[in-house]
Amino acid sequence: MAQRAHVAEHLETSTGLDNRKLAMWLFLASEALFFGSLIATYLLYRGQSQEGPYPHDVFNIPFTSVSSFILLMSSTTMALAVGAAHRGRLHQMRTWLLCTALLGISFLAGQAFEFTEFVHKGLTLSSNLFGSSFYVLTGFHGAHVSVGVLILLSLWVMAARGRIGQHNALNVELAGLYWHFVDIVWILIFTLVYLLDPLAGGGA
Amino acid sequence: MAQTTFEGSSLGVLEALRQLRRQAATYQGIWSWIATVDHKRIGIMYAITAFLFFLAGGVEALAIRLQLAVPEGQVLDQEVYNQMFTMHGTTMIFLVVMPLSAAFFNLVVPLQIGARDVAFPRLNAFSYWTFLMGGLFLYSSIFFGGAPNGGWFGYAPLTEKAFNPGHGIDFWALGLQILGISSLASGFNFIVTILNMRAPGMSLLRMPVFTWMTLVTSFLIIFAMPVLAVGLFQLSFDRLFGANFFNPLKGGTPLLWQHLFWLFGHPEVYILILPAMGIVSEVLPTFARKPLFGYPFVVFSGIAIAFMSFGVWVHHMYTTGLGPVANSAFGVSTILIAVPTGVKIFNWLGTLWGGDIRFKTPLLMALGFITMFVVGGLTGVTHSMVPSDYQQQDTYYVVAHFHQVLFGGAIFGLFAGIYYWLPKFTGRLLDERLGQLHFWLMLIGFNVTFQPMMILGLLGMPRRIQTYPTGMGWDLWNMIATVGAFLIALSILVFIVNVIYSLRRGQKAGADPWDGRTLEWSIPSPVPPYNFARIPVVRARDDFWHHKYREDEAGRPIPVVAGGANGHEEQEGHAEHIHMPSPSFFPLIAALGFPLIAYGFVLADYALVAVGVVVLLFGIYGWALEPASE
Amino acid sequence: MHGRKSLLAYARLLVPLLAALLLTGCNVAIDTPQNTFAPVGEVARDQRHLFFLAMWPAVVILVLVWGALLFALFRYRHRPGAPPPKQVHGNPPLELAWTLAPLALLLGLAGPMIGMIIEQADRPSPEENPLQVRVIGQQWVWRFQYPQYTDSQGRPLEMVGRGTEPAELHLPPNRKIDLAIESIDVIHSFWAPRLGGKVDAIPGRVNHLWLVAEQPGEYGGQCAEFCGLAHADMRMRVIVHESQEAFDAWARQQLARQSQQAAR
Repeated sequence: MAQRAHVAEHLETSTGLDNRKLAMWLFLASEALFFGSLIATYLLYRGQSQEGPYPHDVFNIPFTSVSSFILLMSSTTMALAVGAAHRGRLHQMRTWLLCTALLGISFLAGQAFEFTEFVHKGLTLSSNLFGSSFYVLTGFHGAHVSVGVLILLSLWVMAARGRIGQHNALNVELAGLYWHFVDIVWILIFTLVYLLDPLAGGGA
Repeated sequence: MAQTTFEGSSLGVLEALRQLRRQAATYQGIWSWIATVDHKRIGIMYAITAFLFFLAGGVEALAIRLQLAVPEGQVLDQEVYNQMFTMHGTTMIFLVVMPLSAAFFNLVVPLQIGARDVAFPRLNAFSYWTFLMGGLFLYSSIFFGGAPNGGWFGYAPLTEKAFNPGHGIDFWALGLQILGISSLASGFNFIVTILNMRAPGMSLLRMPVFTWMTLVTSFLIIFAMPVLAVGLFQLSFDRLFGANFFNPLKGGTPLLWQHLFWLFGHPEVYILILPAMGIVSEVLPTFARKPLFGYPFVVFSGIAIAFMSFGVWVHHMYTTGLGPVANSAFGVSTILIAVPTGVKIFNWLGTLWGGDIRFKTPLLMALGFITMFVVGGLTGVTHSMVPSDYQQQDTYYVVAHFHQVLFGGAIFGLFAGIYYWLPKFTGRLLDERLGQLHFWLMLIGFNVTFQPMMILGLLGMPRRIQTYPTGMGWDLWNMIATVGAFLIALSILVFIVNVIYSLRRGQKAGADPWDGRTLEWSIPSPVPPYNFARIPVVRARDDFWHHKYREDEAGRPIPVVAGGANGHEEQEGHAEHIHMPSPSFFPLIAALGFPLIAYGFVLADYALVAVGVVVLLFGIYGWALEPASE
Repeated sequence: MHGRKSLLAYARLLVPLLAALLLTGCNVAIDTPQNTFAPVGEVARDQRHLFFLAMWPAVVILVLVWGALLFALFRYRHRPGAPPPKQVHGNPPLELAWTLAPLALLLGLAGPMIGMIIEQADRPSPEENPLQVRVIGQQWVWRFQYPQYTDSQGRPLEMVGRGTEPAELHLPPNRKIDLAIESIDVIHSFWAPRLGGKVDAIPGRVNHLWLVAEQPGEYGGQCAEFCGLAHADMRMRVIVHESQEAFDAWARQQLARQSQQAAR
C-alpha cells in the first residue's frame, strides 16, 4: 500500500505541482474569501453597536498578545516539522509536530479563557453587534485551529506508527500550509479586531 | 469492555466494507454504483438526480402558473404559494442547473483532456453524495412543518426568527450549506484535474472550450460559495443562537445580507451559464464542420466575464437607496459586462458562417440557446439602465429576463449537451424525430410562457405575489403564460419518452457519430472504465479532427485514411494493465454526516449533531487511511 | 430536404411571433392602474424614455443578429455534393471591431443614465415647496403621513390601509412630492409605477424618493419587495386631486375626521 502511495506522489502533472498541493492552495484561496467576508462584516459593524459591552470594556490586549505569540511560535515549530520530514529526521519531525499541536491547544485554551471572561463581563452573541461579529469571526477561526490540531495529532499518531516518512513528507507540508494560513488569519484578526480599536481611540 | 467492543465493531465494519469494495470493483450490481469513484458513473448519477429535481421544480412551476392563470386564483393559499416559488427557484438553481453542469464536467472533461479520471476520484464521489444529501435534506423540510418560504434569495429580516418562526428557513440555510460543500469540493477537483492532468501536448490554449468554461466556472465556485456560506452562517446564528447580524433593533442592517448574498449571487449566475456556453461552443463547430471562430476571444471573454462578475453585484440592489455614486458606478460596470457576453454570440455566428450545417437536435438546441440568450442579454442591458431599472426591479420583467437566460440559455444549452453526449456514454443515439419535436415544443412553449412576462412587468405586475386583482391589464398575459408552461411540460414528456425508447432501441452510436473534433470521440461508446487505452499525445487544438482530416491549399478538410475512431479502436486490444482508483464507501459515509449534523441543529438536538460529527469523522479518517487503489 | 424544412419552419414561426409582439407593443400606453408605459409624471416619463433609449438599439441589434443567424442557417445548410467548408479559425481585426463597437455604444448610454441617476437622487429643495410624505411599510399595509398637515392634537394627517383595503395616497397635482420611506418590520418597497420607479422600505434606515403627478386621476401602486404572507395584498390607491385647493380641502376634511376619532 505504501508503495502505491509512493508511486502516486510522483505522477507527472501538467503544471509540475503535486495534485494535493495545488488543491490545498485552492482551498486556502477560497478560505481567504470566507474569512474576508467575516472580517468585512466585523469592520462594517465596528462602532455601530447601540449598547455595550464595547471592545475597550472587555479586551485584555496583553493577554491576547501572549496567546498570539504562542500561535506565531507554533508556525515556527510547524516549519521545523516540515523541514525535518523532508530531511527524513523522523524523531525531530514527531517532536515538532507535537509541539505545534500543544502550542495550538494552548492558544485555544487562551481563547476559551478569554471568551469566558468576556461572557462574565456581559458580552454574549446576542448582546450587540460587537458580540455577534466578534464571536462568530474568532469562533470560526478557533474552529479552524481545532481542526488543525486534530490533523497535527493524527499525523503525530501515524508518524508514531511509522506511516509518515520522507517519502510522504507532502502530508506534513500540506498540514503546514493549512496551519500557516490559519496563523496569518489570526494576525489579521488580532490587528483589525484587537489592536485597531484602542488605536482608533476606543469608544463604541 | 466498551473499548474493545467499539474497536471490534469498527474492525468488523471495516472488514465488511473491504469485502463490498472488492465486489464493487467488478462494476456489477448496486454496490458498484454506491461505491463508484468512476467519473462517468458519477456523472450519470448527477444527471439522473438533477433531472428528477428538474421534474420537481417543473411541477412547482406548473402549480405557480395554475395559481396565477386567473385573477384571485384559489389553487394555492398564501403560505403554500410562498413555499412553492421558494422551492422552485432554489431547486432549479442549486438542484438542477448546477448539478446538470456538474454531470457534464464529470462525464466530459476527463475525456476531453485525455485523462483517465479526475484528480481526486473519491472527492468526486463525495461531491455527488453530498449534493444528494443536501437536496433530500432541503425537501425533507416538507415533513417538518413546511418548506422554506422566504424566496430563493432569503432576504433578512423576513427570514429572521421573529418573522419566520418555523423550521423552513433553517432547512433552507443548512441545506444550501451542504450543497455549497458539494460544489466547493467539485470546484477544487476540476481545477486540479484541468490544470494538472492534461494529456501530453495539450497546452491550455489547445483545450476544448467546454473544458475552459469548466475551469473558469470552477474558479467562480470556489470564490463565490464561501461568501454565501458566511451569509448563511450569519443568518443561522441569528435564527438559532440569537445573534444580531441582520437585526435592525440592535443596529444590524438587512443590507449586509443583500451584499453578501449578491456578492455570491451574481457570480452564481455566470456559474449557471458558462458551462452551457461551453457546450454551445462544442456543438456549433461539430455541426457546422468548421472550427470555433475566434477561439482565443471566446476563451478570454469567458475569463473576463468571470473577473467582472465580482464587480456588478449592486445591480440587484439599485432600489435599496445606496445613493447615486454606488448606483452609477455599478450601472457602468454592469453595462460593461455585456461586452464579453455579447462577443461570444458574434463568434458563434462566425462559426456557422461558411459552414456545412447539419440540423441535428444538438444543433437545434444550441440555436435555441443563441436566439433566446440574445434576447435575455439585451433585456439585461435594459436593466443596467439604472433609473429604468427602478421600474423593472422586482417585476415580471426581471422574471422574464432571467428565465430567458437560464431557461432559454442554460437549459437549452444543457439539452444540447444531452443530445450531443448521451450517445458517447450509452452507446445509443437519441431518436432524431422525437428530439426535433422536443425542441420545437420546448421553444414554442418557452416563448409563450415568458414573453408575456416582459409585458406583465412593464404593465406593473410585481414578482412573488400570490394573486392579483382583475382590471390591471394582466389577466390575458397570465393565462397565456400558463398555457405556455404546460407546453413546456409536454415537451419534457416527449424527451422522457425519447430517452426511455432510445436507451433500449436507439440506433447504435459508434465512437464518433457526429464526426466530432475533440478527444472524447476518439474512444468507443460506451466508454471503457479506463477511458483511453493509450493516453494520446496532442499536437494541436481539435487534435482528433486533425487525425481524421488534413487541409488542402484552400483550407478545406480532406479525410485521412484510417485516421478516425476506427483506427483508435484497434488499440483497444493493446490496452496495458491500467491501474484505476478503487471504489470506496467512505465518501458516502462522510456525506451522511452532514444531514445528521444539520437535522441536529434544526431540531436543537445536539446529541444528533455529535453523532453526525462522528459519522463525518469516521468517513474522513477511513477515506484518508484507505489506499486510493488496491 | 430535412435541413431546409427545419429552417423554413423556424422562420415561419419567428416572423409571426415577432410581428405579434411588436403589434402588442404598439398599444402599450393603455390606461391600466400600474402601466409603466402610461406615465403621469415626470419621473416615470423620464424612466420610460431611458428604457426606450436602450430598447430601440437592442431591437435593432436583435433583428440584425437573428437576421444574420437565419441567413447563415439558410445559406450554409448542408447540401449533398457541396465542398467541405474552409476551416477558418477567426479574424482578429473583425473580432476586435465587434468587441469595441458594442463597448462604444454601451458607454454612450452611460452618460444619459448617470445624469438621470443624479437628477432623480436629488431631493427637492425647500424653494420647490415639496409636499412631504412619510411612507411607513408594515406587514401588510401601507401607512402614509403628511407632517405638514397636523390636527388639533398636533398629530400628522395619516392614511393607512385596512385589512386588504388598499391605503390611499392622496396627492396634489404638479407639485414635487418628497417621500421619506421606512419600514417597521421587514423590507417592503414603495411603488406607484405610473408616477415613477420604486424605492425599498428598509427597517433601520430612511430612503428618499421624489415624484410628481401631472395628471389628476386614480392610479395603482403596491409593495414590490416580497414581505411575507400577504405581500400581494399590500396595495395602494394613488389619488391625484384636480388642484392643490382640492387636495387641501380633502386634507382638512380628513384631519377633522381624524380628530373626531381620536376624541372618542
